[in-house]
Amino acid sequence: MGCPNETNPGAAAAQVLIVDDEPQIRKFIDISLRSQGYATLLAATGQEGLTLLACKGADLVVLDLGLPDKDGKDVLRELRQWSRVPVIVLTVRSDEGEKVTLLDAGANDYVTKPFGIEELMARIRAFLRTATAGAEDGPVYDDGVLRIDLARREVSVRGQIVTLARKEFSLLSLLARQPGRLVTQTQILKEMWGPTHAEDVHYLRILVGKLRQKLGDDASNPCYIATEPGVGLRFTVRERDGMAGSR
Amino acid sequence: MGTEQTEQADALLGELKRQAVGRLTVFLGAAPGVGKTYAMLARARELHRQRVDVVVGIVETHGRSETQALVEGLPLLPRKKVAYQGRQLEEMDLDGLLVRKPAIALVDELAHRNAPGSRHERRWQDVEELLDAGIDVYTTVNIQHLESVNDVVHQITGVRVGETVPDAVFERLRDIRLVDLPARELIERLNQGKVYLPEQAAQALQAFFSPSNLTALRELAMQTVAEYVDVDLREKRAARGLEGIAIQRHVLIAIDGRGHSEYLVRAGAKIAERRGAPWSAVTVDTGRSASAALHADDVRRATSAPDGAARDEQRRLLEIDKAFALARNLGGETAVLHNSDVTQALLDAAAARGARSIVIGRTRERPIARIFNRTLTQQLLQRGARYELTIVGAPQVRQRSLRLPDIAGESLARRDLLLILAISAGATGTAALAERFLGLQDLSLVFLVAVILVASRTRMTSAVVTAALCFLSYDFFFIEPRFTFLIGAQRGVATVLLFLAAALIAGRLASRLRMQVVALRAANIHAMAMQNLGRKLAKAADLGQVITAGASVLESTLNARAWMRINGETGPSASAEHLTEKDLVAADWTRQHGQSSGRYTDTLSNSAWWFLPVRSDKDTLGVVGLRFPSGVGRLSFEERRLAESMAEDIGQAALRTRLVSELEVARVTGETERLRSALLSSVSHDLRSPLSSMIGAADSLARYGKDMGPEDRHSLLETIHVEGERLDRYIQNLLDMTRLGQQGLMLTRDWIGVDELVGSASRRLQRYEPGARIEHEIPPDLPPIHVHPALVEQALFNVMENAAKFSPPGETVRVRVRRTEDDRLLIDVSDRGPGIPEAERRRIFDMFYSVERGDRGRQGTGLGLTIVQGIVGAHMGSVEALPGPEGRGTTIRLTLPWGGYANQEAKENGMPE
Repeated sequence: MGCPNETNPGAAAAQVLIVDDEPQIRKFIDISLRSQGYATLLAATGQEGLTLLACKGADLVVLDLGLPDKDGKDVLRELRQWSRVPVIVLTVRSDEGEKVTLLDAGANDYVTKPFGIEELMARIRAFLRTATAGAEDGPVYDDGVLRIDLARREVSVRGQIVTLARKEFSLLSLLARQPGRLVTQTQILKEMWGPTHAEDVHYLRILVGKLRQKLGDDASNPCYIATEPGVGLRFTVRERDGMAGSR
Repeated sequence: MGTEQTEQADALLGELKRQAVGRLTVFLGAAPGVGKTYAMLARARELHRQRVDVVVGIVETHGRSETQALVEGLPLLPRKKVAYQGRQLEEMDLDGLLVRKPAIALVDELAHRNAPGSRHERRWQDVEELLDAGIDVYTTVNIQHLESVNDVVHQITGVRVGETVPDAVFERLRDIRLVDLPARELIERLNQGKVYLPEQAAQALQAFFSPSNLTALRELAMQTVAEYVDVDLREKRAARGLEGIAIQRHVLIAIDGRGHSEYLVRAGAKIAERRGAPWSAVTVDTGRSASAALHADDVRRATSAPDGAARDEQRRLLEIDKAFALARNLGGETAVLHNSDVTQALLDAAAARGARSIVIGRTRERPIARIFNRTLTQQLLQRGARYELTIVGAPQVRQRSLRLPDIAGESLARRDLLLILAISAGATGTAALAERFLGLQDLSLVFLVAVILVASRTRMTSAVVTAALCFLSYDFFFIEPRFTFLIGAQRGVATVLLFLAAALIAGRLASRLRMQVVALRAANIHAMAMQNLGRKLAKAADLGQVITAGASVLESTLNARAWMRINGETGPSASAEHLTEKDLVAADWTRQHGQSSGRYTDTLSNSAWWFLPVRSDKDTLGVVGLRFPSGVGRLSFEERRLAESMAEDIGQAALRTRLVSELEVARVTGETERLRSALLSSVSHDLRSPLSSMIGAADSLARYGKDMGPEDRHSLLETIHVEGERLDRYIQNLLDMTRLGQQGLMLTRDWIGVDELVGSASRRLQRYEPGARIEHEIPPDLPPIHVHPALVEQALFNVMENAAKFSPPGETVRVRVRRTEDDRLLIDVSDRGPGIPEAERRRIFDMFYSVERGDRGRQGTGLGLTIVQGIVGAHMGSVEALPGPEGRGTTIRLTLPWGGYANQEAKENGMPE
């Protein structure tokens, strides 16, 4: 399949490739993204999606798993052989084992159908933001209540300095460095305790509990560190006060 | 053959079993009056003080005050009163004790015989039941009551003790305590009247208590205790793996029922016991006797007309029976071997059981046989070189040996004798006639034929007698000088001697052949009965049929009434009427304990029925009851064995039917489960897709509507609308399916044009799939069709929607309508999609078929085509999948009968096609 030229790759706008065989889903994602100033590329099959990505490139891919021509996981694997573009997977499967498999296969995040547009949009923003934020330095997160200064290893809640243990701080910084993004348990465990502890999830549970306590966060209704059961953790960005971190 | 590890595992298991079930502590004494009961009570008091739950089940104090004093203060179980022939007898309340379930029960006098009408004949059986129930038992017994030393006691004292206790009870032994008293002191006690003796036996027993007897008994008791301690130690060591016994040393005891079988079994059992080896008692059926035939009728006929050989044979079988019963009591196996060659049979059996030792009795030594090395002992020594041979001599054997000379005569039946005489006379006559034509030597052939004739019809002894007769007749009538027994010429001597030798060998061969045939036939009857049962059981599909088939074969083979209850199902009802309350109690007992009861057994033997357990591999499935005619006083070993084998086969068949029905249930459950999960995944996948679009579109509008152009906003609203309709269609499909599945579909037929149907379906499809291209080919002037319009339109729509989905973009879906010669409507819907492999064309109509192919399938519940099939089927039509035109894609063909009088109309119009 050739490269269709239906999109306008504006220099400023981030380009999102949407691969989904359901025309209606493709349509509303397309309309919503365009209304928020993103450029879009649309594909109905896995092959078409891969071709588009190869020809036109994209800053982010939204990939449906149930494609008619090939399994979404195969598309993901093929894509990962030559591209590091962030991929958000759309799936109807709500089995967390399946999600872990997907994340292992190279997906960066997932959204379970049916989903609200804002949920998808938040994920997309998280990836496109850090893609630019990573370029700058001075990593300070401040939403008005919680302030994290990664360089000075300083954390405060409502102006009060919170003393964190070394491990607690490294977990918080690991999550806060990629706000809004899902970090899998395996990733965290490997990074913090080394590859031999990739299975020791209970370490993590204890540590997260302590961290939440110190930040005044509630596990049942977390403001900062949200648990995706069986999959991983996500640092939630509090939108009210905006991001003070990116200068 | 058992390896070291299995030995060890067995020992450990044995040890575990000892711990799980109750254990027996025996207070063993050499004679009455040594103080066994006293010792037991003293021990019990001590335990009672330590707050162990001890209950006195039954203790006979015989009015002795010192014993009575010991009983006081111990918890006492009230005795059960049993009325028997107007007398009140007191017995231990077994059931009461089982309910009370103390940690330890005291049960005095293990060898006691219970009052008639009690559950068990003997008290040791009660004790076994207590042990089974997990109750530890303390009991007392005198050495002379022990089965295995019964003969020795008889030899020492001259008194035959009738009430013996099988050694097998001692398998559960935890502890054996010797209660000892020197003979002198015992006699002193006896003289002081301190020893209780039953009045009627007092006189007889006085002789028993001689100092020499008591000393010998005391020694015997000590030996026995030492042996059990030995066995105990060995088992414990084995359990801890300290000492692996390298090979299983099975002991094979061969008995022949000629006077000392029980003695042999006891002796052999003791040998095995000392070695800690398993053992079995076997007998060889050579087919020599007519009554070896297994059929119950034959045995009974023999019983009813006992004369000569038959009576002798009957006695022999009875002895084997008793010896086998004893063997089972002592914990051995029993088997009847069928072979005309006794030696070979024994060697085969020894090899099969991994035996190292063969125990035989001293056989009757026939001088001639010894010369030719033909005695059993010699043959076993020659051919079974690797076996250890133990030959046990018994006092009774000598008596029998004295009668040896007349055995041949005695066992010759009158009929046989007549046959011998007639044939010998005939042979002599024939020889006289033939003498003119034949030479002297050739005449011997005539006699030889006579001998073989007799041998092939009767037995070896007859053949020998015939040979002797013919020899004499030949000598007397034909050898010069005639009419004397002298032999003139040297040649004559050679002739007659050679004749004798030939006659004996030929006779032996012929009679042996016959024996083999008889033995084979006997084994065959058993095999055929089993085969017959197997055939009938194989046909039985459920438990009820198994019971009916099993009962009918049992009844016809054993000539008895049969009844059975397996897994709660009983039958046949004709037999059930003959069961009394009493019989049912016995049946229940058998069912619970997995052991036979009722008639011909020691348990609940006042029932008219004999009950056998029906076992599967590990548990008792049920019980088979057999009621033999009241004239049958006992069962032959073969009858027992046949009944037991049959019960076993019936159990296997019952188990099989149970497994089959369980499998069937599992299969149906599995299928339902599969369907359910298919439905769930279908619902979650296919209902969520439109929902996702609707939720997403609505959410987009709500959040970003103000940032969008009017066109985009309109487009999203349209999405919500279209997807809502799609969702509605899926739900409709599900509802239709439910209706079709419940057979509740009511057809409301009406007249409608085929073109109208196709047009409506096409329009509907165009709405949902605006890109689809549809092409019609409908002959003009088709008559209207009498169908349920909405349903057929739905079916057509489903097929077309399917075709559109599989069509590559830009390709058309073709709808071709035809009318067949035999007035049916054909609607072919063809697409140019990937097509369906031949193997799967049928399956596409299965419910949820597309779902089963996984997430990759196109959207659709997979119900569409199933619904089509249901609707078309309700109209008596059919639907099939065919390869598409020019071999590309797929054609779905709907065939519908025109219905009503449209046929008539069509014919009148003379429609083409």
